[in-house]
Order: sequence, then C-alpha cells, then structure tokens
Amino acid sequence: MLVITRRSGEQVVLGDDITITVLEISGSTVRLGIDAPTEVPVYRHEIWLAVKAENQAAANAGVTSLPSRISK
Amino acid sequence: MQIQSTRFGAIDIADDAVIEFADGIIGLPGKRYALVAQQEGSSFYWLHSIDDPSVALPVTQPWLFFPSYDVAVSDEDSAKLGLDAPEQADVFCVVRAAPELEDFTVNLRGPIVVHASRRLGRQVINAAGDYDVRQPLFAHVELSQAAPANSTTPIAASGV
Repeated sequence: MLVITRRSGEQVVLGDDITITVLEISGSTVRLGIDAPTEVPVYRHEIWLAVKAENQAAANAGVTSLPSRISK
Repeated sequence: MQIQSTRFGAIDIADDAVIEFADGIIGLPGKRYALVAQQEGSSFYWLHSIDDPSVALPVTQPWLFFPSYDVAVSDEDSAKLGLDAPEQADVFCVVRAAPELEDFTVNLRGPIVVHASRRLGRQVINAAGDYDVRQPLFAHVELSQAAPANSTTPIAASGV
C-alpha cells in the first residue's frame, strides 16, 4: 500500500487518465473529486461491499423455486 | 442459443432477450444475462447468466412491493445505458430468497436498470435516498397484494 500526504486542492494521478482531487477537508471528512474515464466504475467502498455481498448471497441462496403470485 | 442452467436445465434464450452488462454485475461473473420467468404471471424473475450456467439472481420489480419507491440514476449511469427518458428503463431489484417468506429481503440501494429496447443493463447505486440493501420484502405489503411482474424487457423463457 502506498501512503501519501495531500493538502486541500492537491491531486493524485492513477495511471494515465484517473485524477483524484482533494476538494475540501473539514474535520474528519474529506471531499474528493474523481475524474475517471466512463468505463471505470467508481463506488463508495462500503456500498460496493454491501451490494457485492447481497448479489452473491442472492445468487447462492440455494432457493430454486420462488413464490408465484404471493398469496396466503 | 441454449444454456444448460444448473437450476433449470436447458433453457432456450432468444438472441434479442440477452441483456448486456458492460461492467458486469458487482461481485458476479460474466456480462450477458437474460430474464427468465419460472411461472407465467410470477412477481419474480431470475436474471440468469448466459456465460456461467450456475449463476442466476432472483429479481423483482420494486413497485410491486414498494409503490412509493424512488430511483435516481446518475448522469454517468444514464449515459452508459443510453437512457434519454425514464420510460425507456426497466428497474429490477435483487431478491435474497429464503425458505420462509418473511425472511426474503430486497436490495433497494443497488437496483438493476435496463434500457428495455437496447437491452443494456447496469447495477447502479440509487441516488434517490438512503435505501437499504437488505429491506424485508414483505414488511410493507399485504401478501396478497403483489401483482405479477410486467417487464417491457424481453423475457428469455418462462415456465422453466
């Protein structure tokens, strides 16, 4: 892992075409601007992890028969 | 084409029912999926992988269960799907099925948006609100109220 220090307004470049700008630092919160090609998906990590976990759990639920019209 | 689903056996998939997910589905393999209905008139579909016959996700249309559900698709996601207007989109949410109905949950935070006529799909992060990835599916609906799904996206097969 690379650890670097940046100040507000400074940037990090990943490869040729991804730029991350520190827009604002306020207390424990950092606002980032991410400039990346449209083919690069960008997610908040915790949301990405949660969605990934749900997708995998849904695909592996071991249920092969779903209810049809739901009725009691 | 025909796929050999590990769940359902041989399924014929019409070419025009294949949905392309250019960025895949988060955490799952492959980029081509198709909607499969297990029974006519079901409230659920399977979003079945074309590339991996063991991968299939139960999905439903969220408004069957959550009539006031909101979806906001970012400009970037809309551009990737080629969406110009909301009516071009079909929205599905991933269902985590369980042996008991009351344990079913649905991911309202990461809906799957499909451009119905271009058959391009993408799982997006819903910007409309702080929705749960694991919302109990039957908490807000009388069990008898859920209507059959009515997708404008082509259904690859039904009655599998």
